[in-house]
Amino acid sequence: MTLLPRLKSLQARLLALLLMMMALVWLAAAVLTWIGTRHELDELLDGHLAQSAALLVAQQTIQDQDQDDNQKSDPPGRHDDDAQPLHKYAPRVAFQVFHEGQLTLRSANVGDTPMSTTLRGFETVQLPDQSRWRVFATQGNEGDVQVFVGERTESRHDILWAVMTGVLTPLLYSLPLLGLVGWLAVRQALAALRQLSRLLAKRQPQALDAVVLGDLPAEIEPVVQSLNALFGRIGNMLSSERRFTADAAHELRTPIAAIRIQAQVALGAGGDIAERDHALGLTIEGCDRAAHLVEQLLTLSRLEASSASAPAGLVNLSALAQRVAADLAPTALQNGQVLELEASVPGLIQVDDTLTCVLLRNLTDNALRYSPPGAKVCLSVTTEDNRVLLQVDDSGPGLPDVDMARLGERFFRCMGTTQSGSGLGWSIVRRIAAVYQAEVKVCRSTLLGGLCVSVIWPVHAAQPVSNGVIDGGRRHL
Amino acid sequence: MRLLLAEDDPMLGDGLRAGLRQQGFQVDWVRDGLAAEREIASGDYQAAVLDLGLPQKDGLEVLQALRRKKITTPVLVLTARDTVPDRIKGLDLGADDYVIKPVDLFELGARLRSLVRRAHGLVQDVLNCGNVQMNLAARQVLMDGQAVSLSTREFDLLHALMLNMGRVLSREQLEQQLYSWGYEVESNAIEVHIHHLRKKLRADLIQTLRGVGYMLLRPKDPT
Repeated sequence: MTLLPRLKSLQARLLALLLMMMALVWLAAAVLTWIGTRHELDELLDGHLAQSAALLVAQQTIQDQDQDDNQKSDPPGRHDDDAQPLHKYAPRVAFQVFHEGQLTLRSANVGDTPMSTTLRGFETVQLPDQSRWRVFATQGNEGDVQVFVGERTESRHDILWAVMTGVLTPLLYSLPLLGLVGWLAVRQALAALRQLSRLLAKRQPQALDAVVLGDLPAEIEPVVQSLNALFGRIGNMLSSERRFTADAAHELRTPIAAIRIQAQVALGAGGDIAERDHALGLTIEGCDRAAHLVEQLLTLSRLEASSASAPAGLVNLSALAQRVAADLAPTALQNGQVLELEASVPGLIQVDDTLTCVLLRNLTDNALRYSPPGAKVCLSVTTEDNRVLLQVDDSGPGLPDVDMARLGERFFRCMGTTQSGSGLGWSIVRRIAAVYQAEVKVCRSTLLGGLCVSVIWPVHAAQPVSNGVIDGGRRHL
Repeated sequence: MRLLLAEDDPMLGDGLRAGLRQQGFQVDWVRDGLAAEREIASGDYQAAVLDLGLPQKDGLEVLQALRRKKITTPVLVLTARDTVPDRIKGLDLGADDYVIKPVDLFELGARLRSLVRRAHGLVQDVLNCGNVQMNLAARQVLMDGQAVSLSTREFDLLHALMLNMGRVLSREQLEQQLYSWGYEVESNAIEVHIHHLRKKLRADLIQTLRGVGYMLLRPKDPT
């Protein structure tokens, strides 16, 4: 069996196992047959010997009586020399009859000395001519008649062999035949597997349609089904990637066109310094916008590549919100906007802090970007029913219901906006939220009248509650 | 030459307007589809640059609506949608040209001039009226082979008249073609420009039809 793991081929392994099992069964059958036959044979032949001996004893007893009646009608030993072998097995059978210690009768193939030392019962002896005999000795009732009946053990062996050969030869011949049939059967059974591998080997990397194989064995069908499901998933992923690339390239065209045109305007402005400076300013702004778009695209593509394996640690959402608010405050101040943070509770969640920062930044940036100068944006972190709730309210114009439904579509930008967003922020927010099973809701802000975005995180079991948590959370940053 | 620019991207729109103005076009800029449709339908523009991804009404829908209303103003579609089916759709819906972003400003100008020219059944970038020759690309006017220096307005006025040679154009029509939005037009501005043109070129070049308008006489066939 230790050989089996070394056999790479399933077919060879199955075949080896099959043949080995058959050989073992064959061997066991041989041993059992041998033991059984031998036992039966011994019983039968010993029985015959005993019966023959009994006959001879009986005959001798009758002769004795006759001799008593007729007085020496026959001299001893006269039959023996003339006795013809009656059967080809006859030389293998021998007998001796002693009467009162005198040999009165014997077969031709045995000497005058008693065959066995045992006087009653069976014994296997070796005679002076090296032949082995099975001898049965018995005595007459009065003890004056001693009979030995013997049979060559050889003949028993011959019978045993004949039986064994008869039984086992067909088995021996059938072993290679069975091997061949087994090989063919296994080969036949594995045909579907080979066909599958041929199909897969021939496949182009782009081919992601389902593998269709007629009449699959039940064992291989799940493999093909799983394979097809995998192809389907890969296909979806690829087409989403392709769409994404196309959309991304498409979206990059507009800022690049703007940069080019503004640069040409600056070149063509000639002496008009105001026009040139305006155009150059917008050229730089266009570059920033393209850079922002590329940044967002990269974030999104990284997110999509590693959504399942995003690392998570215990993060203090309030501390993160504070950091993001601090980062964005200068921009808000420049636009005369007010950015407020309300986070009196720590709000510990099991997330990756970089990703969560990206989410916070996108939400806050969106609120600031699409609110007019002087508007107010309020970030708040609260805990509610064991969940952590982040809310971003703004006093901006809000969104019509139609647009609310379309938020999160890649590159969707609300109509009539003059702001140069990438159209990707929402995709990113939704993607990150999905990674951590957080729920994102958009509605009209009851607080400030503009848009209100809520992100609700499920709370994970290990949430330590203590007074020093904000500081504890900061250590993550 | 007065153009309507329909583009929702603020930076690109600003750049296109400035760049086209540098090339002598009068440019009005709208940022959504409904405004674009309304303005082009007004007939005040000799051509329009139309972005497809416009808010409120998609550029293609605008185009379709205009062509259904039999408005033939040449429209150049300027878009990021670059697939062949997109282009075919745009052209079939009535676009006169289809340009993919990003575009060179001068190429855009040339394409627009070409559109206007074709709309007036011309094949060359040069207009002729007797001994006066106008080169549109160079924005140059020659009389008897000599270059005549004209201001932007004078050039545009002469251009409008030359394009409509033999047809009377009212003062209002000329004003609409000359001035983009945001200009205070003096009531006698056209008359002043006509006066200058007559002085710089030929006195009898431009005919005044009192109370009706102005026209350029088609030169008599030399044969």
